[in-house]
Amino acid sequence: MRNYFVFLGRCGRIAFEGDWRYYAWMGGLTIFCLLGLHAWCRQFAQGLILTGMSDEVSWGVYIANFTFLVGVAAAAVMMVIPVYIYDNEELHDLVIFGELLAVAAILMCLAFVTVDLGRPDRFWHLIPGIGQFNFPKSMLSWDVIVLNGYLLLNVHICGYLLYSRYRGVKPAKWFYIPFVFVAIVWAVSIHTVTAFLYVGLGGRPFWNSAIVGPRFLASAFTAGPALIILALQIIRRVTQYSISDKALLTLRSIVQVSMLINVFLLANEVFKEFYSGNLHVVSSKYLYIGLHGHHGLVPWIWTAIAFNLTAMLLLVLPVSRSLKWLNVTCVLCIVGIWIEKGMGLVIPGFIPTPLGEMMEYTPSFNETLVCFGIWAFGLLCYTVFLRMSVPILQGRLVQANEGQAGSAAARKH
Amino acid sequence: MNPQKRTTLTLTGLTLAFLALTALFLSNRPGRPVRLPPIPLVGTDFLDTATVRRSYADLARAQEDLSDFECYTCHEKGKPPPLRYDLNQNLIVPKEHSDIVMGHGSHGRNNNCFNCHNETNLEQLQTRDGRALTFSDSPMLCGSCHGPTYRDWEAGAHGRISGYWDQALGPAQRKQCVNCHNPHSPHFPPRQPAPGPHPLRAVAVAAVESEPNH
Amino acid sequence: MSRRSFLRTSAVLTTGLAALAASLKPLMEMNDFPTAERFMQKYYKELTPAEMEKVLQRITDEVEKQYGIRPHVRDLKPMDGVEFVYCLNLTRCIGCRKCVHACVAENNQSRNPEIQYIRVLRLPHGSLDIEKAEHFYNTDSVPEKGYFYMPVQCQQCKNPPCVKVCPVHATWQETDGITVIDYDWCIGCRYCEAACPYWARRFNFTKPSIPQERLNPDMAYLGNRPRRQGVMEKCHFCIQRTRAGRYPACLEVCPAGARKFGNILDPNSEVSYILKNKRVFIQLKEEMGTAPRFFYYFDV
Repeated sequence: MRNYFVFLGRCGRIAFEGDWRYYAWMGGLTIFCLLGLHAWCRQFAQGLILTGMSDEVSWGVYIANFTFLVGVAAAAVMMVIPVYIYDNEELHDLVIFGELLAVAAILMCLAFVTVDLGRPDRFWHLIPGIGQFNFPKSMLSWDVIVLNGYLLLNVHICGYLLYSRYRGVKPAKWFYIPFVFVAIVWAVSIHTVTAFLYVGLGGRPFWNSAIVGPRFLASAFTAGPALIILALQIIRRVTQYSISDKALLTLRSIVQVSMLINVFLLANEVFKEFYSGNLHVVSSKYLYIGLHGHHGLVPWIWTAIAFNLTAMLLLVLPVSRSLKWLNVTCVLCIVGIWIEKGMGLVIPGFIPTPLGEMMEYTPSFNETLVCFGIWAFGLLCYTVFLRMSVPILQGRLVQANEGQAGSAAARKH
Repeated sequence: MNPQKRTTLTLTGLTLAFLALTALFLSNRPGRPVRLPPIPLVGTDFLDTATVRRSYADLARAQEDLSDFECYTCHEKGKPPPLRYDLNQNLIVPKEHSDIVMGHGSHGRNNNCFNCHNETNLEQLQTRDGRALTFSDSPMLCGSCHGPTYRDWEAGAHGRISGYWDQALGPAQRKQCVNCHNPHSPHFPPRQPAPGPHPLRAVAVAAVESEPNH
Repeated sequence: MSRRSFLRTSAVLTTGLAALAASLKPLMEMNDFPTAERFMQKYYKELTPAEMEKVLQRITDEVEKQYGIRPHVRDLKPMDGVEFVYCLNLTRCIGCRKCVHACVAENNQSRNPEIQYIRVLRLPHGSLDIEKAEHFYNTDSVPEKGYFYMPVQCQQCKNPPCVKVCPVHATWQETDGITVIDYDWCIGCRYCEAACPYWARRFNFTKPSIPQERLNPDMAYLGNRPRRQGVMEKCHFCIQRTRAGRYPACLEVCPAGARKFGNILDPNSEVSYILKNKRVFIQLKEEMGTAPRFFYYFDV
């Protein structure tokens, strides 16, 4: 037990050690975190009027980001599948980076949901047993369970594997392999439950469609691994941790298949919405071509579609095997899917309102600061996790060199 | 520049940035509460629960001036006033009753005062089957022609009832026909609507004028 | 550690912590920060009568302090053998919006930002297509030729989607059919607002502002007591009136007598008569399966 605290202490300390680029990065992120925190404190004091939301469009960028990040968290665990099911040893250590990304993403999700609440001081009302937890009827209650469970799962798996590596012992298979398999299923469930938040609302025909769930998963498994491809290259560059190109190309094939499915599902949706000509098409009309003189989202969605189609094309062509083009493709995927899931899903569900009123939505400055703050917080967390885990995986931060003066070897990049 | 110096520079920069942030947060600039455009309070006439007219029964209950209904102040008993019509069969309303506008039935239907008023006793009303009604009992007169509406009114489906739906707990007052309908020109009068809603976020008002279907 | 690195590290840490503390300044300036008592207040259904008394006392004191008027706050329970139903005669509604404002006055709704439980839609003759509805009609005189008017408020559905989705049971349906909200339990997630097919629920985006001269001091816990920022509210059939046997405010003010309200379990009520005798009813968005307790009817 004491050893564990020493381990934690060393991990904590190493998070504050690095070269000037590390300080600049962490410092910059901290500045954004503080700006975001201040913006949120203003929002807590004055209410959600400081955002751009209204009774007509009652969910905005907070929930849009939440939805996107749940997908990232789910997909981050997808590397687990080739490693543990197909015994691909190449990717073994990278699983930890993926799961750490999942932890950071879930923390961001929880933060986005908290800042969206009108009364975050009443969060305890959600705790089963102490509050009034509407399980199983409310899909939000399911979401609370699966997100927190997923967080615990990943913290356990990563924590255990890293601690075992730190101690230089082989991790006991029974203590983490079952959790890994549970995590695979759980990853699918977190995003499906989040999709069901929307699908279950009969009063919003734009969302009340069976395709939303599969579309969520397909877009998550495109954007998530794309993010990981980029993150791994940054890790490789900054820490000299060796990551083979083969790992990146395996991830590329996940992105490839997922993007193809995503575009296919988009085609399905568009056909269903527009072919029959019934009146439920209004929200889609607003999104794709504008409605009653309002067309705020039209440029956004067509940009997203252009990005997704370009990325899809690049993915099926061998040109994306080259890292330069692969990176371009990943950025296109991430941005395209962020727009599609955020503005392309959450906002059109509210426009027009169930009574036909047209009210557009633009995030306010304060709201945007809060979003940047939470993204910065997530990046901060992920950087700290990597700062702790890379030396452990490289064998430089180990129990064996505990207590050595300065442990300079451990601190050096 | 050696790495040490770079680190010092970076950390100094961060220190200054944090100081700037502290100053920014402590200043009142970001802390200003949001100001909403003023919305005028709605006029209290829109909150008034009174009916558009007051019936004879209301006036009597309030013990108000009923001299308007004392017809024999001017008319002669036993001498029913003659009715005059113009070339288009429209009733010529005598100047003493110029506040009355006849409009009870289109195309000049029902322009005989004595369809409702009792020529032998002007201070009463009459039905076609010869019942004499006081002004307080006017609904029965209306109902003698407007059967389905009267039936609905009796059941509470037409017109207004105010007070208590649970009459074990308090009284309910059923309004009469003349509380809403001017008996000479019963069409319910149009009125100015109260102001429309003021949404929280400014609406670029593109009020959709949907064409009526006829 | 060298002195230089100690200095620069502590400089960054100190200023960083100072910036962190300073960023929390808006919270310190809040004059409505949740007190411990309010924070710990129990769920409505778990409050004992004695606890409820204390809560009502607290609300009375708070309202008096804020508005200078001592209100009368009660916790009215549903009556036995009563299920409320609302009928609205579309032949009679003239779109004057008096019901909207009577509701606002009765139920102490915020005037700025404006919260109105009732929204009157103007629809062209011959169509119930909500997409053709105009919310902001502004003529000199109503009714306008070629249109009819349909006020929409909470339909108190038998199968309410809002109740299903609330993660903390802050909204539920009572035995008399009214879907109520415990304003002190709501966490403000706005899932119910997204779920409602009738756009009937409203959120307090900031502290509601009620002019003191228009405050209605006759209040109920689940009804028209002033709400706080960050919670949901909606039409509750004027629970402070209807559970005392009175008609709701929207009905009392309607000049055309288009609104009808009563106990459907009473065969002699006007709503029973209407549902038995009128031929055409509209339950808005019936295909949603919400089974609203609001019936729009016509006079033939």
